[in-house]
Amino acid sequence: MLQHIIPASGLLFTLQNILWINIGVFIGAVFAAIPGLTVILCVILFLPVTYSMSAIPGMMFLLGIYCAGGYGGSVSAILINTPGTPHAAATMLDGHPLSKAGRTKAALKIALYASTFGGIFSALALLFLGPQVAKLAAQLGTPECFMVCVFGLTIIAGVSGKSMVRGIIAACLGLLISCIGSDPMTSYDRFTFGVNRLYLGLDLAVCLIGLFALVEIVSRAEQKPNELHMDTKKMHDNGAITKEEYKRLARPTIMGSLIGVLVGIIPGTGASEASWFSYSQAKSMSKHPEEFGHGSVEGVAAAESANNAVTGATLIPLLTLGIPGDGTVAIMLSALMINGLNPGLSLFTTQGDIMYAIMLGLILVNIFMLLQGKILTPIFAKVVSIPQEILTPIIVIFCFAGAYSVNKNYFDVCVALVFCVLAWILRKLDMPPVPILLGLVLGKMTETNFRRALLISNGSPKIFVSSVYCWIFIGLIVLAVGTILRGKIKDRKAKADPPKEE
Amino acid sequence: MKKSIRRLCLVLALVMVMSFATATSAFAADTWTVTCPWAPDGVASLVSQKAASLSTEYSKDITLVAEAIKGDAATVNTWVLDNEANDPSLVFVGEGLLSITATMDPAKLQFGYEDFVFVENLYSSVFVLSADAKLEINNIEDLQAYVADAEEITVATNGATGSEAFLAAALFGSMGAGDALKLVPYQSAAEAAQAVSRGETDFAVSHQSQILETYNQGGVTVVCAFDEGAIENGPFAGIEGVGQYGYPYFRNRCFIMARAGTDEETVAALKELYDDILADEEVVEWLHDTMLLEVDTMTVEDVEAHVENVTNIVNEYIDIVQPA
Repeated sequence: MLQHIIPASGLLFTLQNILWINIGVFIGAVFAAIPGLTVILCVILFLPVTYSMSAIPGMMFLLGIYCAGGYGGSVSAILINTPGTPHAAATMLDGHPLSKAGRTKAALKIALYASTFGGIFSALALLFLGPQVAKLAAQLGTPECFMVCVFGLTIIAGVSGKSMVRGIIAACLGLLISCIGSDPMTSYDRFTFGVNRLYLGLDLAVCLIGLFALVEIVSRAEQKPNELHMDTKKMHDNGAITKEEYKRLARPTIMGSLIGVLVGIIPGTGASEASWFSYSQAKSMSKHPEEFGHGSVEGVAAAESANNAVTGATLIPLLTLGIPGDGTVAIMLSALMINGLNPGLSLFTTQGDIMYAIMLGLILVNIFMLLQGKILTPIFAKVVSIPQEILTPIIVIFCFAGAYSVNKNYFDVCVALVFCVLAWILRKLDMPPVPILLGLVLGKMTETNFRRALLISNGSPKIFVSSVYCWIFIGLIVLAVGTILRGKIKDRKAKADPPKEE
Repeated sequence: MKKSIRRLCLVLALVMVMSFATATSAFAADTWTVTCPWAPDGVASLVSQKAASLSTEYSKDITLVAEAIKGDAATVNTWVLDNEANDPSLVFVGEGLLSITATMDPAKLQFGYEDFVFVENLYSSVFVLSADAKLEINNIEDLQAYVADAEEITVATNGATGSEAFLAAALFGSMGAGDALKLVPYQSAAEAAQAVSRGETDFAVSHQSQILETYNQGGVTVVCAFDEGAIENGPFAGIEGVGQYGYPYFRNRCFIMARAGTDEETVAALKELYDDILADEEVVEWLHDTMLLEVDTMTVEDVEAHVENVTNIVNEYIDIVQPA
């Protein structure tokens, strides 16, 4: 490795590369902050720009978009309670309450620092442990992936709000909606009602716009005008994070980064799953679980560190095995292949300098993301000061433009509106929307892996206990369920036996 | 404060206009968009992007812009509805739609071959059958011996009813092992390649480039190619073709089509541009060395023969791929 580092540094530290990294970081952060305009869409749109470049500046530009997109999605989640990208949904749960409490700058700073830490952590994992970790990931097959999904579904309990029953109903609704489209095992249509556009299922980004952004606008329309105005002058938002808070941030950030790396190396999973796993884990490990959902700094750090830690981890199977870790990285594969580079371990022998330059570049991307983020944070934070009568129509237009741009058709705009109506009805019924999102994120993956595993084993459930990895995941599931039950019992006891007032 | 808010609003409005412009992608009149209805990281999309990136070098009048809108039949349906003759828009259509979907689920297609006019075929890809290295199957004779004794044969494919599934069904079906064959669909070719290398399935069918890295790492052996003869070049040179043993096969091809009724001169100009790009040494080398594909320009007659051949295979082996 060391023999490649010096020539790789020479290839990387050029003015051209640094310029492209910064352009990528800026585009990624701004693009992902707009609801509906996902990171993958941004990478697809800007991919042609890389055709005329050589491999390193091309990849640096795309990595800039990819990493900054992870952070950018949190900006709108914090400011307007609408995740700019699906993986920022967990950030929204605590980021927006923090912003409403007058700590917008602090929330944005925590998101930025956690994202940077997660990003650099995963870049180092890629640099030092890439091939070893990739070999481990290659051992995880269909039954193990199903266990990961089941573990993910245990998060529902943590995001169900007051009533777990309502949360489970909402999650089931999400799972049902995820069944729309072609059956992954047979290609037969399901719940498409003859509508061609439904054949591929519903796009998560479009559903998010309806579930969180548009319904927020509708609910604002129901408020009285005087309730809409926030007195931002009185908030004294200097963005300060106390020493005590920094201490509290350390554990969820490190844990989130680790979870992000572990989830990212499993092909098929991604930043959304990682941020939810990390959020749930942080809540169960926190000394202040009651703050989660009401503006916990730990919640923001856990979600953001995990979703950015995925960025380096998804590159591990790509660069070492030629398998893209997620959809966005799959597009980046094009940038390498267009330049005649077929990723895999053999490329480390033939083009080692280029491979190490890309891996070192990921660290550089995260450093520039931090620097740009520090400049952009005060500007982003001013969004909350914009009068609602100006901000609301701008958000609505962004939402519709975002929904349209996913597949460039108006059908998706209608889907977003349908989800808005659904979310509004659920709000009236006091049902939480987050479990629906979890159902949508995990539904297809859970079903596909479950059915494929049973197909391979001729229907025998023994396949789910057939490897040591399965048992590790079973242990984690039992632990998660146990923690949930213990929490519920504690809550019930506390309600039955309230503390006496002095 | 008011000033800074005003500035911020202005910036937001600018970003809004920019995102709208990006979303609607308004291009000049001589710019032809080439829609690929499959994954943006798939083989067809990559080749389309490469061709588009070179279009300005070979034509002053036509600029090609590649876009990938994953959606298969739904994307092509929309393309047909949205475009008329002479609209500056092209679309990829392959045997998957014209032979497989047209036979298995014709109601899904709101178009027929007659809705298009053929422009060019860019490449042809020879799929290969790879086997779990532990099975030690290195050629067709080994495969025949294995099939004769096997009670169950599992094959990983990209998708449930794609070209890969039908090639596997045709090979094992014609070997008399149709009843023992179990097709295991995966979400991508890369997943299928990994499945066979860790022994989750016995075999996988994939493009050569998609199995190369797994092969290099020793996880799989490459048994045979779905072609008339042996592979002549590249890392899999010498691998036997199933055609040598009389088994059915087809190559994977994706045709670039314009809307039916487009002027002949326009179609000819587009075909000429693509042919010039495909004659470029750099493109030939890239297709050959990186993508492990062959340049394969075709005529309308060739296209019709290909569609007919695949349709015949689909009709014969549909019961294996999708049992009643």
